[in-house]
Amino acid sequence: MTETCIDPNKARKILERYPEGDASGLIHALQDIQAEFGYVAHEAVELLCEHLNVPISKAFSAATFYKAFSLEPKGEVIIRVCTGTACHIRGSRILVDELCAALGIEPGGTTKDLKFTLETVNCVGACAMAPVVSINGKYHGNVQPGSLTKLIQDGK
Amino acid sequence: MTTEKTISLEINGRFFQAREGMTILDVAKREGIPIPTLCYHEALESVGNCRLCMVEITHPDWKGWKGLVTSCLYPVEEGLQVTTDNKTIWNTRRTILDLLLARCPDSDVIQKLAAEYGVTVTSYRKNDVETKCILCGLCVRVCAAKGANAISSAGRGIEKMIARPFDQPPPDCIGCASCAHICPTGAIEYEDTPEVRKIWGHSFKMVKCESCGRPIMPEKQLEFEAEKSGLDPAYFKTCSVCSQRKSIDTIRSAFDMKAVGLGEPVEVAR
Repeated sequence: MTETCIDPNKARKILERYPEGDASGLIHALQDIQAEFGYVAHEAVELLCEHLNVPISKAFSAATFYKAFSLEPKGEVIIRVCTGTACHIRGSRILVDELCAALGIEPGGTTKDLKFTLETVNCVGACAMAPVVSINGKYHGNVQPGSLTKLIQDGK
Repeated sequence: MTTEKTISLEINGRFFQAREGMTILDVAKREGIPIPTLCYHEALESVGNCRLCMVEITHPDWKGWKGLVTSCLYPVEEGLQVTTDNKTIWNTRRTILDLLLARCPDSDVIQKLAAEYGVTVTSYRKNDVETKCILCGLCVRVCAAKGANAISSAGRGIEKMIARPFDQPPPDCIGCASCAHICPTGAIEYEDTPEVRKIWGHSFKMVKCESCGRPIMPEKQLEFEAEKSGLDPAYFKTCSVCSQRKSIDTIRSAFDMKAVGLGEPVEVAR
């Protein structure tokens, strides 16, 4: 695991939004931490648990239960290839293979320089424009293997 | 005085009385009717995780409807008719144990229980990961009841497991080893020496009895117990055997009137 230090002041700023000792803010706060740092940082969770008076084990349980949370730092550019039925039929597998080869990582992995993260998702709900690739939240439809490089360059 | 409602119900054709709020399992346990359980513990709230305590229920008013419920959770009802063992229940438990045996092929507890239901070799694919944990969650519940909340489940689906937060020695663990003791399959390992207890990656220094020198509990647990109970930490520094002996001595000396300066016992006229 790569040890990255987060700015505790940034974490504290997030926590200010949540009433002290109110455990119901846990998921929201975890989402905010994920949005701020790109992942659920251990140090931030410790501060959060102290603030909300929630045991660390509970926060860890929640953070590992939802796929939306990542405990590992993610890349600047998050590439999500849809592998739902429609996208699969229209060749999303080839896109995944292309990206794996180009970035040298497996799906779910992040490049060592923390630039790219490659993920596969089951359906993004845009089957009409299959195969779909989402780059940092922006959807691209009818993606051809040849157009991937350009998309990633643009997404940077 | 609160008057508790008494409920009568039928288990395996016999009639029993129960208090309102009791579960079917409570009554069965009281009456010595065997129902297998794995995730049940009388000190903790039931959650119905292991599904092994399934029984069949019906009621004269239900027009012949009957169904399987977890007896550890189902509250007794007036006129309820419970069956704790029949073909359906047997098959259900057999399937559960077949699946558990696939998950934990090396667990002697599961092997034994599964064999009782005729499963000696699982019909499913064996688990690749070596584990004795059946994910019943008893350890997590006892840890929460203790007030430590050190461990929890992590992940979900086939990847779910009981884990330490961030895969590091849990900061809230007090080393009481309740989790290891309550585990029905003995999946949680710990190591005790007179000096230290090793559990969950921690190495806790043990407190020794001030009278006999036997290890009592980890230092951290003692601090925790003292704070939680508001008692003097010194109270915990004597082991149960020694403190029992101490209180016997105290009572003895209290009744020894010479010792408390009351002189000779007075003969009471009859």
